[in-house]
Amino acid sequence: MLKFESVAMRYADGTQALGGVSLQVPAGQFCVVLGSSGAGKSTLLRMANGLVKPTQGTVQVEGVRIAADSLSRIRPRIGMIHQQFNLVLRSTVAQNVLAGALPAMPTWRALLGLFSDVARRKACKLVESVGLQEQHLLRRVSELSGGQQQRVGIARAFMLDPPLVLADEPVASLDPRTSHDVLALLRTQARERGTTVLCSLHQIDLACEFADRIVALRHGEVVFDGAPGAFDPKVFESIYGRAPAAAAPGRPAVHGIEPEAVLPLHTGVLELAP
Amino acid sequence: MSRPASAWNLPRPYGARSLAVLLAVLVIGFFAGQRVEMGRMLSLTGEGVLAAVGLREQSQVLSGLGTIARSLFPPQISERTETARIEDFDRNRLPWFSHLETVEVREPKLNPQTLQMEEVVDTRELLVEPLGYLWHVAVKMLETFEIAIWATLLAIVLSVPLAWFSARNYTPNRAAYGLARGIVGMFRAVPELVSALFLVLAYGFGPIAGVLALALHSAGFLGKFYAEDIETADDKPQEALRAIGANKLKVMRFAVLPQVMPQFIAYTLYVLDRNVRMATVVGLVGAGGIGQELKGRYDMYNYAHVGTILIAIFLTVLVLDRLAARLRSRYA
Repeated sequence: MLKFESVAMRYADGTQALGGVSLQVPAGQFCVVLGSSGAGKSTLLRMANGLVKPTQGTVQVEGVRIAADSLSRIRPRIGMIHQQFNLVLRSTVAQNVLAGALPAMPTWRALLGLFSDVARRKACKLVESVGLQEQHLLRRVSELSGGQQQRVGIARAFMLDPPLVLADEPVASLDPRTSHDVLALLRTQARERGTTVLCSLHQIDLACEFADRIVALRHGEVVFDGAPGAFDPKVFESIYGRAPAAAAPGRPAVHGIEPEAVLPLHTGVLELAP
Repeated sequence: MSRPASAWNLPRPYGARSLAVLLAVLVIGFFAGQRVEMGRMLSLTGEGVLAAVGLREQSQVLSGLGTIARSLFPPQISERTETARIEDFDRNRLPWFSHLETVEVREPKLNPQTLQMEEVVDTRELLVEPLGYLWHVAVKMLETFEIAIWATLLAIVLSVPLAWFSARNYTPNRAAYGLARGIVGMFRAVPELVSALFLVLAYGFGPIAGVLALALHSAGFLGKFYAEDIETADDKPQEALRAIGANKLKVMRFAVLPQVMPQFIAYTLYVLDRNVRMATVVGLVGAGGIGQELKGRYDMYNYAHVGTILIAIFLTVLVLDRLAARLRSRYA
C-alpha cells in the first residue's frame, strides 16, 4: 500500500531529518509513528503525499511512485489530517468538508461552488458520522471547539474515500479526553472503510491503545517497529533517550506536551498492552 | 555559559538613536516648512482668526473667503431660458412646473439711419423652470455616480488577474510577477487627473474618459492590496487543499477567498467611495459628470451655479460616506 524505500531527507541548512528509512505499510493497517520532536515523523508523513520531496530514496503509494508528474493523480487518493486542523475558520463546516471533494471536480464548477448532489449528500453523512449535528453544518468553524474542529478535519479527509489517510499529530492540540475520542473516531472511520492510516503521535498510551503497529523514530532512524504489545520501557528509552519517569500514583497523564518536558506515561499504560 | 538574570540586558524603548532621529526630523521639517511657506500660512491664518474675533481691522484670508461666499450664495436653483433659443419650442407643451415669462430689456442700439445711439425696448420671452437647474445638477450628479460605479466594476475585473499574478505565492513565474507588479505600480503612479487628460484626447469629451481614468487607477490600488492579502493569508488551509491535490484556482477559491473576503469588501467600498469623489474632479478636464459642469460654470463666472454644484457634491459625498460605513460594518 505505502512503501518507503531508504528515504533520506537533508534540509538545505544541513539538518538531517531522515537518514535512510525503509518502511512498508500494508493496506488497512493503522500505523502509528512515535518519536520526539525533530525525530522526522512529520517529514516521513509529508513524503507520502509529496509535500516534502526526499533527497534520497523513493516513496510508492499503491505501487505508483511519488513524483512531480504523478502527484496530481495520487494526491486525491490520500487524505490528510493536520495538527492545527488547517480549516478555513471563517467558512462553514459544510464548506470545509465539501472542500475535501475539490480535486475530483472540474475547476469551473469549483470556482462557482457548485458541488454535485452526491458530494453534498456525502458531506452531510460524514458530518453526522464524525459526531456533529445538522445545526453545525452552516456554523463557522471558528465557533467550534478544538475537538469539533478536528472532527471536521477528519470528515474532510474522508470526502473522497481515500485508501490512505495521513494524520500528522492529529490530537497534539487537544485535551486528553478529546484526544482519545478523536483518535477513536479516526480509528472507527478507517476500520469501516478499510483505510490505511499513517498517524504520528506523542501520546504513547493512545498509540498503544489504537495502533495495529508502532514505528518509532529517533534522529531520523527507525528504532522500534512492532506491535503495541512489544512496547516496553526499554523501547521508550531508545525513542526518547531516557527512561520513563516513575509516575506518581494517581498522577494524570499529560498529553500534548513534549516527552522531554513531562513524560506522559502514567502507571498502567504499559500493562495495558496485551 | 548563561549569565544570571540580574546581568541580563533588556533594552529600553528609546535611546540615543531615537533622539537623533527626532532631531533630524525636526531639522528637515524646518527647512521643508520654509520652502512651502508654512510661516506665512501661520501668520495669515493668525490674522484671520484675530479679525474674526474683532481684534484686527482686516485680513486677506477673511476678505477672500467672504468674496467667495458672497458670489456663491444664494445658489442657483431655477433655470431661465430664452424661448427663442430653444429648438422646436412648443408653447402648448411646456415642461412640468414651468411657466413663461416676458421681460422687457432696454438696450442701447445704433440706429443705422441716424447713426445715433438709441435706447430700444426689446421684448423677450423666457421659459422659467423653478427647479430646473437643481434638476440638471441632480442628473449630472447621477452621471458622476454612474461613472464611479462603472469605474469600480471595471477596476475589480482588471485587478483580479493583476492580484493573482502579483501575489508571490500564486504567480506562475518571476517574469509574470514582475510584469504584474510593474503594471500595478504604473496604474497607481499615474494620477486619475493626468490619465483623464490623455484619455479625453483619445476618447473625446465625456464620461468614457472619466470611467477609464478612474478604473485604471483603482485597478492598480485594488491589485496591490488584493495581492498583499492573498500573500499574507493563513497558509495552513491552503496546504490542506494542496495536499489532497486541488489546483491553484481551487485553493484560491476555497482556502484564500473566504479568509480575505472581509478585507476585499472593505477595500472595494473604499475605492467606490473614493471614485465618487474623484469622478467630480476628473470632470474638470472634460471627462464627464458634474465636474465638467462645474468647470463650465466656473469659466463663465456663473458662481451661483457653482454654489449649487458644490452643495450637491458635498451632500452626495456625505451620504455616500454614511452608506459605505454602514455596508462596511455589515459585511467586513
